[in-house]
Amino acid sequence: MSRWLYSSLVNTTGVLALIVVVYFVTYTPWLMNSVSFLLSDSFIQLNTIFLSILIEAVPFVLIGVLTAGFIQMYITEEHIRRWIPKNKYKAIIMSCLVGAVFPACECGIVPIVRRLVKKGVPLYAGVGILLTGPLINPMVILSTYMAFGNHVTMAGLRVGGGFTAALLITLSISTLFKSNQLKGPLADPVHKEAQAGTNRSFSYKARGMMQHSIDEFFDMGKYLIIGAFIAASFQTYIPVKSLYLFGDGLMYSTSVMMGLAYFLSLCSEADAFIGASFSNLFPSVSILAFLIYGPMIDLKNTIMLLSVFKIKFVTVLLLLITAIVFGSIIVTQSLFL
Amino acid sequence: MKFQLTQFLKLILLGAFSSFFFKLHLTGEIAKFINPKYILMSQLAGFLFILLFIIQLGRVWEINAQHHCSAGCNGDHDHSHSRFKKVFGYSVIILPLLTGYGIEPATLNSSIAGNKGLLLPQNEGMSQARQDAFNEVVSDREPLDENEPIPNNNYLSDSEYDRKMELLKEEQIEMSEDVFAVYIEEIQTNPQMYNGKKIKIKGFVYKENGLNSNQFIISRFLINHCVADARVVGMVSEYKDAALYTQDTWVELQGTIRTEEYNGVEIPVIQVEEVETISEPDDPYIFPILVKIV
Repeated sequence: MSRWLYSSLVNTTGVLALIVVVYFVTYTPWLMNSVSFLLSDSFIQLNTIFLSILIEAVPFVLIGVLTAGFIQMYITEEHIRRWIPKNKYKAIIMSCLVGAVFPACECGIVPIVRRLVKKGVPLYAGVGILLTGPLINPMVILSTYMAFGNHVTMAGLRVGGGFTAALLITLSISTLFKSNQLKGPLADPVHKEAQAGTNRSFSYKARGMMQHSIDEFFDMGKYLIIGAFIAASFQTYIPVKSLYLFGDGLMYSTSVMMGLAYFLSLCSEADAFIGASFSNLFPSVSILAFLIYGPMIDLKNTIMLLSVFKIKFVTVLLLLITAIVFGSIIVTQSLFL
Repeated sequence: MKFQLTQFLKLILLGAFSSFFFKLHLTGEIAKFINPKYILMSQLAGFLFILLFIIQLGRVWEINAQHHCSAGCNGDHDHSHSRFKKVFGYSVIILPLLTGYGIEPATLNSSIAGNKGLLLPQNEGMSQARQDAFNEVVSDREPLDENEPIPNNNYLSDSEYDRKMELLKEEQIEMSEDVFAVYIEEIQTNPQMYNGKKIKIKGFVYKENGLNSNQFIISRFLINHCVADARVVGMVSEYKDAALYTQDTWVELQGTIRTEEYNGVEIPVIQVEEVETISEPDDPYIFPILVKIV
């Protein structure tokens, strides 16, 4: 096969693909117009919220999958074995700290954690990064500070409380699970040569990293889309006030705020403002629960995690996060306030 | 040498995603979805998709057919999935492209406002504890003048912000888009300071449950990041013909601020003197005021 023939074939394919894209772009409005009588006003509102969640999340997911691709191609199991402390407790603390300095959002962190765990990072260390990555980073701290009227208290409690809760959860996971809990085979020996550590050229590896990111994007993308759609439906059809008609008291308001954090699936950079808008309805500790719980786990995130990890593990993780955040909020309230 | 249909499909989807992000920016529709301050990130997404498109191009024709997995493949992707799962997966990915190109983005309306929580202080069913918490929050807030402007603005400089806050002390308050949210927050925090002042305000009519028939809330959606985190801000307005104005009508009104007791909390109410129906503004949303930190 001559090189010239191959490259002209590829070029033709590219042009062909662009033509298909142009056709798609041109005919979709026409196609959707013909079914527009089926669309209710509320569905159009839902669609707007759905797309806005995606438009907001996709850049972060792309950065996430590129990072995951980078880890795949450039970081070897050898590196990781050297970096992660042998001692379990040191490893737990380190993973939470790494997450805290690593600016990620909850949708971008899942592919990164999956890749790390696949590369031999212990599961609990992966969980540490998963929890603190989206919860503690400069953007989140700044937005929390701003949302609560430029008072440092709430931002401080969010960081401090969140970090403590993350340590507790990671510790529990480390005693409960020994294996990596990933779905599917650990690694495919046939393709070993395509991974980091082999002496391939830089450009070969860069290409591999990109290709890898593409596959990861399509893998993660569908779960992100499903999650965003459910969260948008929730916002469109379920009034928030129906949640606080049935009761009162700290336990109740904390559960409501945590439920909201879960189902609204807001980006951790924006949720502080939503949390703050509830300050005339609920006590501050319940809002703190909202702020800590949401970035650790939410609906969209759970669906993405389910695609990566075994159901049993995701369920246990979800329950653990819920129990520990809820418990520590109640304890904090009765001890200090 | 073999044509890989799945890879070709991915190629097209990457192209379509890229063009979707560019379309949003070129048509300005992006402002219907996210706070324009964050558009840089989504522009970046458009360019990243182009890059991935170019990379993906090389995968459509696999040179080595029996080794149908190229560099970087770890054997954990599509191959093991059943055909049905694959079809389902790609349909899900296409969904936002279909609705994104096919359905015009809407401006949020009162049906969403009703779901987002309440503007009015709630009394019935509110325990003493919650009532206390509420009062505490209200009294905790310092008057805005003493507050520093929030870092990172919708392009207001420090001095301009101060000037705009000075304007609030005048007899006639003009609720322009850039200061809408801060003004409302300030007026609601210290209603007695603004008792008797004239106000001019634009927004849509939102009728929250619990309002009298001569009242509505003149409202705007405040967007921090994207439409999903929108919340309603607004002021209760009283007008004899309030019933004539239906939900979601855009109006501009002039009136006087009076404080009234509502469920035991003092709130500012606009006594409307003049109402004019207007068409929906080009920028229906308002964004929080932030002063650049540089």
